[in-house]
Amino acid sequence: MRFTKAGLAVTLTAGLALTGCASGSGSSTSQTSKTITLGNILAPTTFEARNMNWGNQSVYAQAVYDGLLKPAPNGKDVQPSLATKWEYNTDKTVLTMTLRDGVVFSDGTPFTAEVAAQNLLRFRDGTSPQKSKVADLAEAKAKDKTTLEITLKRANPAFLINLAQAAGLQESPAAFGKADAQTNPVGSGPYTLNTSQTVVGTSYKFEKNPKYWDANSVKYDTLTVNVYTDATSELNALRGKQLDAAAVADNSILPQVEAAGFRSSGQNLNFAGLLLFDRAGKSNPALGNVKVRQAINYAVDAAAMLKVVGLGRGEATGQVFRPESPAYEATLNSTYKFDPDKARKLLADAGYASGLELTLPTSPGFPKALWPLLQQQLGDVGIKVKYVDTGTNTIADLQAQKYGLSYFTLQRDVNDWQLISTMIAPNATWNTFKYQDPNVDALLATIRTGNDADSAAALKKLNEYIVDQAWFAPWYSPTNYFVTNAGTSVELNQGNVWPNLWNIAPKA
Amino acid sequence: MLTFIGRRLLTGVALLAAITTFGFTLLYLGGGDIARKILGENADQQTVALKAQELGLDRPVLVQYGDWISHAVRGDLGTSWFSGQPVLDAISSRLSVTLSLVTGAIILIAVISVVLGVLAATKRGWVDRFAQLLAIVGHAIPGFLFAVGLVLVFALTLGWFDPTGYVPFLTSPTGWAKTVTLPVIALALGGIASVTQQVRGSVIDALRNDYVRTLRSRGIPARRVVLKHVLRNAAGPALAVLAVYFVGLLGGAVIVEQVFAIPGLGQVAVQATTQGDIPLVMGLLVATGILVIIFNLLVDLAQGWLNPKVRLS
Repeated sequence: MRFTKAGLAVTLTAGLALTGCASGSGSSTSQTSKTITLGNILAPTTFEARNMNWGNQSVYAQAVYDGLLKPAPNGKDVQPSLATKWEYNTDKTVLTMTLRDGVVFSDGTPFTAEVAAQNLLRFRDGTSPQKSKVADLAEAKAKDKTTLEITLKRANPAFLINLAQAAGLQESPAAFGKADAQTNPVGSGPYTLNTSQTVVGTSYKFEKNPKYWDANSVKYDTLTVNVYTDATSELNALRGKQLDAAAVADNSILPQVEAAGFRSSGQNLNFAGLLLFDRAGKSNPALGNVKVRQAINYAVDAAAMLKVVGLGRGEATGQVFRPESPAYEATLNSTYKFDPDKARKLLADAGYASGLELTLPTSPGFPKALWPLLQQQLGDVGIKVKYVDTGTNTIADLQAQKYGLSYFTLQRDVNDWQLISTMIAPNATWNTFKYQDPNVDALLATIRTGNDADSAAALKKLNEYIVDQAWFAPWYSPTNYFVTNAGTSVELNQGNVWPNLWNIAPKA
Repeated sequence: MLTFIGRRLLTGVALLAAITTFGFTLLYLGGGDIARKILGENADQQTVALKAQELGLDRPVLVQYGDWISHAVRGDLGTSWFSGQPVLDAISSRLSVTLSLVTGAIILIAVISVVLGVLAATKRGWVDRFAQLLAIVGHAIPGFLFAVGLVLVFALTLGWFDPTGYVPFLTSPTGWAKTVTLPVIALALGGIASVTQQVRGSVIDALRNDYVRTLRSRGIPARRVVLKHVLRNAAGPALAVLAVYFVGLLGGAVIVEQVFAIPGLGQVAVQATTQGDIPLVMGLLVATGILVIIFNLLVDLAQGWLNPKVRLS
């Protein structure tokens, strides 16, 4: 009996050890110049190029794939990548690209114009969240082995920058439709995914691609990206020196991260505020009245919102365009300076002297400090706010036109046409009520097809018009931070939450 | 015995069917627009509709459930909607991680609880008071708070352990120990508090029995009486509590794995449930259901081995 129980103990101990033999997240990092461990807040939903996303997932895409073009750090210009030269025809509907010769995918398949055409068309027909960015793509054809001709349905000022993001990613045709295509990418990029040491959803390990055509741009032999969906665990990993660099999940942890010796680099990427979708008053006639929308703008103290909701990290703004845009005008930021009296007067002029009620969705993903403050400030001018908890279904509910307005943070793209296509154009995803205004349509036509000067003038007019018409009630632009340790340098990518992978490097 | 095992296994299958049906219904009721959740805020409505079609979400719920069942009985649990990974791969790669935490915690609970419980029951005095205090503290401190405290002191301040992550045993035994020790302690605290009390109570009850008095009157040393006779009788209730705790630890692992960023079943369960990744959640339900059924069966068999009075035929 004694032997049996002792045996049981040994078996249990061995079992415990053996159960620990599975692949793991490999938490510890070696601080050599050839290895880097990055922290991210999202895992890729897929590695299949035709369905890939961008933003927080761009780091995975740039590790394994090359794009036809590369985004410049200013987020606006593009640089050569697999395409070395490109030019538009006169009406900017035919783009001819000269492609790099001699590039091979990690499985040995050669990259050609035919492959590039297939990848573009697959992306157009896939289910990437970025798919709408190539909605203007009519045809892509190989003229010869290294010449690609892309035909657009109409000119698209954002098409080149789109080709430097998810839409331009190039996957080996041998991997098209393979059963493991979503978790085992085959690209021509600087790294290959080590699937045996990757824990999907938690930790991704990449090894340097020995066949990479631009070996000098690859800074590390191995690259690990760990995913932290919880800000506390990301903070612990940073404080425990398990990460070399990370996109910060929550600005509230930043003081502790900086105290741990990390350097933070920030950019004011998004804007936070109210999106006043229902400008025609379909769901609530009050929202169709420009005076009511203007009153909402006057009623909210943006500076207080930045301080309380944005923890003071960001800058107040009254417009959706970025400061470097030709559309931007600093004076517009004070158009709706906090003035509750003016808000009350506008409401009275609009026929709502006795007040009105607005229904807004709440979500666990929105900052909690927002709700009482917003309710109090709008309540002060006579707007009664009713909140409805939409749980994790907020975006779907907003897209289904269930709410005429909502708090939200939206990305402010550097490329103005990208921004317009996201939140202003009649078919824009975040013009949820698909509101159309002839004045805006005319300006968009000029921006789409005009020369640089005409386009810049139209952008300025557009911005002035939508501020005057109170399409939005922007409060502030929160700062997104990327932190690096003493041995790592970074150059941010304007307009994207993640830097370009090749701009993260060992400090000289 | 074989009939008993067969009957328990059949009950287990019925239980699994009930759990999965209930789980599927709940997930669909609270699922919302899954395709939108997968694609996020940037996708337009047409793409969302296309994604829903691609996943078969445009079909009636009963058809989808029937499809899932017909594949599941053939061992195909589908593919995660949010990562594209086969569900079986997702579970198998993480099961061992969670099991190493839970097994470690169970061993820790069993060893400390038995030693402390027996000492508290036989010695009384300060040992007993310490055990009582431990029970209060163990129940009063929320698991996640204890886990965060452990990280703060032993990982971030003293640097003895890794604050997050998991290193496989075969990759580095010391790395493995550095990553699992704190999570195992965090998981075990509540269990130690409860099981110690159970062992203490059972041993005190057993010590009051006539057979103990008889054994003592025969001159058998007190240590032998306790270890050979009393413990065997007291082990039954303690084992039952331990079995309940095993199930509880699977739940506790959810929080601990989140705090320590450990790639186990708990971490993926939180993500999958929040996201509405139905194939993955269903796979997790099946996996944990099977684990619990097997563990309870083993506990029943161990009860019979320890105490012939409850032996099953």
